[in-house]
Amino acid sequence: MKRPMPKAQSPKPRAQRPTAALATAVLIVIASAGVFAQVSYQRLLNAEKEPQNWLTYAGSYKSHRYSPLTQINRQNAGQLKMAWAYQMQRAGVVETSPIVVDGVMYLTEPPNSTVTALDVRSGRTLWTYTPNVPPDVIVIGSPPVNRGVAILDDSVFVGTVHGHLIALDAKSGVVRWDTTVEDNKHGFYLTLAPLALDGKIIVGVSGAETGIRGFVDAYDAKSGKLAWRTYTVPAPGEPGSETWGKGDGWKTGGGSTWLTGSFDPELNLLYWATGNPAPDWNADNRPGDNLYTDSVLALDPATGKMKWHFQFTPEDVHDWDANETLVLFDAPVNGRERKLIAQANRNGFYYVLDRATGEYLASSPYAKQTWADGIDAKGRAIRKKGISPSLDGTLVFPNIQGASNWFSPSYSPQTKLFYQAAREMGTIYFKGEAVYKPGTAFTGGGGRAVNGDVASGAIRALDATTGKMKWEFPLLSPGWTSLLSTGGGLLFGGTEEGNFFALDAESGKPLWDIQLGGAVRGIPMSYSVDGKQYIAIAAGVTLYVFTV
Amino acid sequence: MLRIVIPSTRFALSGRSRLWMSVAILLALTVSRASAQSATDVQTGKVLFGHLCVTCHGFDGAGGAGPPLNRAKLVNAPDDAALRAIIADGIPNRGMPRVRRTLDSEQRALVAYVRSLGRTARPSTRGNAQKGSELYAKLTCAGCHIVKGQGGTLGPELTDIGVQRGPQYLRQALVEPAAAFPNSTLRVQGPGYNEFLPVRVVMKDGAEVRGIRLNEDLFTIQLRDQSGKFHSIRKSNAEVIRKETGVSLMPSFAGRMSEAELDDLVAYLSSLGGA
Repeated sequence: MKRPMPKAQSPKPRAQRPTAALATAVLIVIASAGVFAQVSYQRLLNAEKEPQNWLTYAGSYKSHRYSPLTQINRQNAGQLKMAWAYQMQRAGVVETSPIVVDGVMYLTEPPNSTVTALDVRSGRTLWTYTPNVPPDVIVIGSPPVNRGVAILDDSVFVGTVHGHLIALDAKSGVVRWDTTVEDNKHGFYLTLAPLALDGKIIVGVSGAETGIRGFVDAYDAKSGKLAWRTYTVPAPGEPGSETWGKGDGWKTGGGSTWLTGSFDPELNLLYWATGNPAPDWNADNRPGDNLYTDSVLALDPATGKMKWHFQFTPEDVHDWDANETLVLFDAPVNGRERKLIAQANRNGFYYVLDRATGEYLASSPYAKQTWADGIDAKGRAIRKKGISPSLDGTLVFPNIQGASNWFSPSYSPQTKLFYQAAREMGTIYFKGEAVYKPGTAFTGGGGRAVNGDVASGAIRALDATTGKMKWEFPLLSPGWTSLLSTGGGLLFGGTEEGNFFALDAESGKPLWDIQLGGAVRGIPMSYSVDGKQYIAIAAGVTLYVFTV
Repeated sequence: MLRIVIPSTRFALSGRSRLWMSVAILLALTVSRASAQSATDVQTGKVLFGHLCVTCHGFDGAGGAGPPLNRAKLVNAPDDAALRAIIADGIPNRGMPRVRRTLDSEQRALVAYVRSLGRTARPSTRGNAQKGSELYAKLTCAGCHIVKGQGGTLGPELTDIGVQRGPQYLRQALVEPAAAFPNSTLRVQGPGYNEFLPVRVVMKDGAEVRGIRLNEDLFTIQLRDQSGKFHSIRKSNAEVIRKETGVSLMPSFAGRMSEAELDDLVAYLSSLGGA
């Protein structure tokens, strides 16, 4: 469905803005050339140099979800007020991270992977596009959410709940190409924001709860043709296949790739995390570690070839996908400067690896966990006995949705802290039978969350190189809040009860809060336009934008 | 699917009669297969019920914190399709979780078992509901509870309590109220939260409020006190916020009633709802 395109905003006459000569000149160049400002790969590489924009899902290839903007800061955060709001077109769970490019915001809306372009000054719609998602679309394992778009050159890319990757003209929302990633009838669907590299669009898939065999795909950005595919579950004879037993469990082995990866252009490595083995809670037909599920993979972006891998949860029987955001930063470890990759894993541990080699360096529990006696020197968890799902249920922490999940952490280069919302909750895990039938649930059990007053949550600031907690800000309940840190020394987060707030990023002290009337599931980001900084967050089915 | 072939040479019947006979035989076979299937399902369903449902719905579906299921009509599940949907997905935010995903065959077995509970005669509660009703009035339960629009609001509404809770649970609620605490079936606070949780707040200026928690978020809490007055509290303005978990404002009737009277009151409460 498309709406008529409103009149394009024209720049203000030069005479009225004599002091803004440079900005005006840029506007005139854009206007007179009649072209949309292209988002080249070079611009994506240097995303941190244009803090007024937010060019990728997590703000940069390093996935810091950090804005260097300083206009909204510790001193004035208490004066934050709403600038505008945008109501989603349909009801659903909104987990979008908007991107902002040169005055235009691109966001996605549930349930049918709608993409909408908004004027960032007014919140008014410039165009909107909804793919032709069939009414019998199969989405098992999550609500039909979408976490955002990628932009490259003059196209916007969206992954859809019916398993497509679609390129849209960034100016009009008109389809440039529409590629089927995999057949939704078999349970494949896309919820992640794609990642744009040099001429390639990288995506992963959801669907382990239907027994898919996961993969990471690269598509040519111009044509939509598949450039490479790397399976996350090896076929017999391939390295890692020995971790699946002798049966055919690998064929339905899961290993979804449902969240956006990170990229290091200097090492030329693409990092992508993988999800749970299938069936989730019954490992009878998949005895072994089940590589490369619940892992991080380092891939050659040109070929998809695996350079190294690290598995967080071998032979997972709790549905602890390792898809959580992979954060890249450099820091000294034992006196030596290292290139690091860190993740607060769904299994309750925070991990730090060398991102050149995959070498395990450190870990620390950041939430209550009752399944492991610790992590050994190589990074493998020492499992306790009696933690497997059972017919009458087995109580284990973390809960079935993990100590963490899809929601974004934040890393501030200013404080050198890794900020993570932790879910403090147990689940009674049940084992059941799993029968594979394409496009139906293939989970082998499930769990009953021990929720309510006995569960809680917290935002924890971790020393990024060790995972040791520096401070925490308790939450009433285990939330789904993504975090944004800023150059103004702030940390933004939300709650399931509808609160959105700013904390002092150094101390965790609350500085400002507002009730938004719906659970905060959106992913916060920041941008500036006309010299004014804004913070955007979706709660319930509304996107709110705040400024001072 | 069975296919029956009736050789026309053995039955000198018209085409139409042959057809009807085929249908009749088919039907008979289908019915007998269905009941055989059903008996196996009931057994399988009973085992599954023991693993997944008994904690809330009680042994033999007699009810507990969850509704009794040993009755012919289930309010939320008028037919098998509705019952199966509830087993498959739970009733989100009404206290009934989906414990785990179930196979089609497991759902069928659970439906068969639950329906079998409704076919057996409902065990008669020991007490006399009419006498129980008189006790309800005498004890001024209506001071705090609403039944069919009449009564006070401090405690939970009881209009449908007989279909929501089992007799054992209701008995426990009378003698040991804090042990039978409802967990979020009202959809305000979310699954698992204590409802009717007493909270005592001392403000920084010394003012004190005690009431039932109606809602809460990270920065605020909303209470209703015994007089029915609402209180909106900004947590940063409070010195003390004590959630009295494990405390009920309902008085215990242990030792204040004879066993027979307790039976009568439980019988009355069990009779409420489902009309």
